[in-house]
Amino acid sequence: MLVIENLKYRHERGEMDYRFDLEIERGKIAGLTGPSGAGKSTLLDLIAGFLPPDSGDVVLDGRSIIGLAPENRPVSILFQADNLFDHLSAGANVALGISSKARADSPEVEKALADMGLSGLSKRQAANLSGGQKQRVALARTLLRNKPVLLLDEPFTGLDEETAHAMRAIIREIVARQGWYAILVSHDKEDIAALAQNHYRLENGRSHKV
Amino acid sequence: MKKPSQPFADLSRTGLPDLRWRPGRVLAGFFIALCIALLIGALLAALTFAGRSFATTGSTVADIGHLVRMSAIQAGTSTLLSLIVGVVLAWSLDRLRFFGRGLIVGLLSSALVLPSLVVVSGLIAIWGRVGWANLVLAPFGISTGASIYGFWGIVAAHVLLNGAFAARVLLDRLEAIPPEKLKLGRSLGLSTVQRFKIIDLPAILSSIPGIGATIFLLCFTSFAIVLVLGGGPANQTLEVAIYEAVRLDFDLGAAVRLALVQLVVCAAIIIPASTLTPAANLFGRRSELHWPEGMLVSAVQTVLLIGLLACFCAPLLAVLLRGSGTAMASLFGQASFWQAAGTSLWIGLASAAVSLGLAIGLGMARSLQRRNSPARMILGVPVFTYLAVPAVVLSLGFFLLARFVGVGPAQAAPLVLVIANALLSLPFVFATLSPPLEALAARHTKLIRSLGLSGLAQWRWVEWPLLGRPMGYAFAVAFVFSLGDLGVISLFGTSDFSTLPWLMYRAFGAYRTNDAEAIAAVMLIVAVVAFVVIPRIFEFLTHARD
Ligand SMILES: Nc1ncnc2c1ncn2[C@@H]1O[C@H](COP(=O)(O)OP(=O)(O)OP(=O)(O)O)[C@@H](O)[C@H]1O
Ligand SMILES: [Mg+2]
Repeated sequence: MLVIENLKYRHERGEMDYRFDLEIERGKIAGLTGPSGAGKSTLLDLIAGFLPPDSGDVVLDGRSIIGLAPENRPVSILFQADNLFDHLSAGANVALGISSKARADSPEVEKALADMGLSGLSKRQAANLSGGQKQRVALARTLLRNKPVLLLDEPFTGLDEETAHAMRAIIREIVARQGWYAILVSHDKEDIAALAQNHYRLENGRSHKV
Repeated sequence: MKKPSQPFADLSRTGLPDLRWRPGRVLAGFFIALCIALLIGALLAALTFAGRSFATTGSTVADIGHLVRMSAIQAGTSTLLSLIVGVVLAWSLDRLRFFGRGLIVGLLSSALVLPSLVVVSGLIAIWGRVGWANLVLAPFGISTGASIYGFWGIVAAHVLLNGAFAARVLLDRLEAIPPEKLKLGRSLGLSTVQRFKIIDLPAILSSIPGIGATIFLLCFTSFAIVLVLGGGPANQTLEVAIYEAVRLDFDLGAAVRLALVQLVVCAAIIIPASTLTPAANLFGRRSELHWPEGMLVSAVQTVLLIGLLACFCAPLLAVLLRGSGTAMASLFGQASFWQAAGTSLWIGLASAAVSLGLAIGLGMARSLQRRNSPARMILGVPVFTYLAVPAVVLSLGFFLLARFVGVGPAQAAPLVLVIANALLSLPFVFATLSPPLEALAARHTKLIRSLGLSGLAQWRWVEWPLLGRPMGYAFAVAFVFSLGDLGVISLFGTSDFSTLPWLMYRAFGAYRTNDAEAIAAVMLIVAVVAFVVIPRIFEFLTHARD
């Protein structure tokens, strides 16, 4: 169980006091919606450790992770964009997620890419991949890193309907198979309906279970 | 829509530097800043101590008040004209599109570090007693005489270099005008004048005080140009007076007093000026939208542009034409030339490497600190050494420091030249590297942190490949800057230890004009080659590893 417990935050010079309470079960995806500026990305930044909360806790399987630095948290994030280093090849981007010594043409990397339907694209520079391919490369890396908490910040925005459909299927399957805890931020009702087992809505700085 | 992320905005709410992420880099940055501060502190201490211990021999102690007043008039005139030239050039270049425009913009960017002796030599080649102008005018019985020596010659050289610099920075501002504003202006059908007043002026106005203060300071502390073109005590700067006190009058006491005045004046200008504008960013983003003027205005702009560029390029062309051929062949036969060239080359490369290292260290640490934090400010301060402590004063400080620790000038010279030139070129190198470092941090830090990349891996995979181009350009800037230095070498140069500018200045002094012109041509060629080749080398290195 991933529990976000009374997590409070206020942006510097910001007007809103945020207070978040969420619970996510193993192998499940929680959908997160809310108007623009409601604090969805802020919540993900708090969970990933990019922002320090004023109080509250994030507890994963009974252990608090709030004291850990971002690089040590058991968390992967998939943003809407900028998930890859554009100047590196797809393979190198995936390899970087394993260790800085991992080789871009190792079988491990090839397999992860193949699992995402990207076999043969390992040497392609990330800048030359399509939006959907980029997201799948990032997903391949996430899969290899195998961190139990997966945060998705509007990862399907900008993808065409078919690609988004395929991505949804992949994500649902991986989260269930690996027993991860995922939070999906989306403006798209269809995403939430198709993927989320729970649904939270952020409004006026509070999270409500829908 | 993507929002610019600020990964550090909330990490540290205290004023202290944030050490939780990449502490090694942050500490390295502060260590560099501390070392520079200590060095400058030691130099200032040496100066003030010497001020008390050496009595001036009073030989030809210049009237300091008069010197400051005259320099201020010269610098003020140069600044005003540079700004006018800069605005006209930027305005024309912003509107016109033609083949070779990129090349011209590149030329303008490097004008500020172009060896000023080259420009001086070019001006003399055209306007001097036996210059081209007099050759053309002679049949008509007219002569410009030696009008290039004196006030207006100095101003002309300053306007050439600084007008180009101003144009480059202002062009950057014009090109950064959001396309929405241009679209709006165009659909409203603004006239040329309205457009300039409503759209252009607000964009450039905010940077005018900063650019103006910088140019004023550069002209006020000008050394090589004034030394060669000054033609007597009527047109001096404090820098030249310091040099003469040390090398002609052997009056260290007078030199120190002049240096202290120089420092006070610089501080009085730079402290208010540094709050006026952020440091100029030579790598602006370019808006795709192009909105040319009508036929008539375009024609006027073309004429203005050609005229100003001719003024800018003619001296450089003159240097190349007069310096090559037999003059260069005879120069190549002299052992002293090869010695000086070798010294210039290795000192240029060494000081460029040091400068690049310092700038990267400071810039990295700085990009890790949150905006507006005192830590960030501290890391930006060492960069201003050059403006606060001009070359000859810096050189005098090193000269005295070496004396106090009992090292002879000859032994100290190579090290002093490398360090001093590295410090002097730091502002340019930092201004080139800091924006891409910041951009990189803003764009990739979240990803880098969540992947848990080590500092070394971050450098190897992200920064090294992405910074290749700016690093190469910055290296070239620092190299060319120290290649052209006359200020630092002026107190350390001898017949045994010489650089190209020093050799050239001595050739001028000995009326070996052909040699001087040939050296100027060599320096110009090396500078151009450096700007073309060094960035390529860096690009090759950074991509070869990918
Ligand atoms: N560093 C910051 N300092 C001050 N305020 C901030 C900062 N970052 C974000 N905010 C503000 O906090 C609020 C929430 O931002 P957040 O990015 O979390 O919204 P969001 O729900 O993800 O919106 P969107 O759907 O547009 O992505 C916004 O009003 C934003 O302007
Ligand atoms: Mg968001």
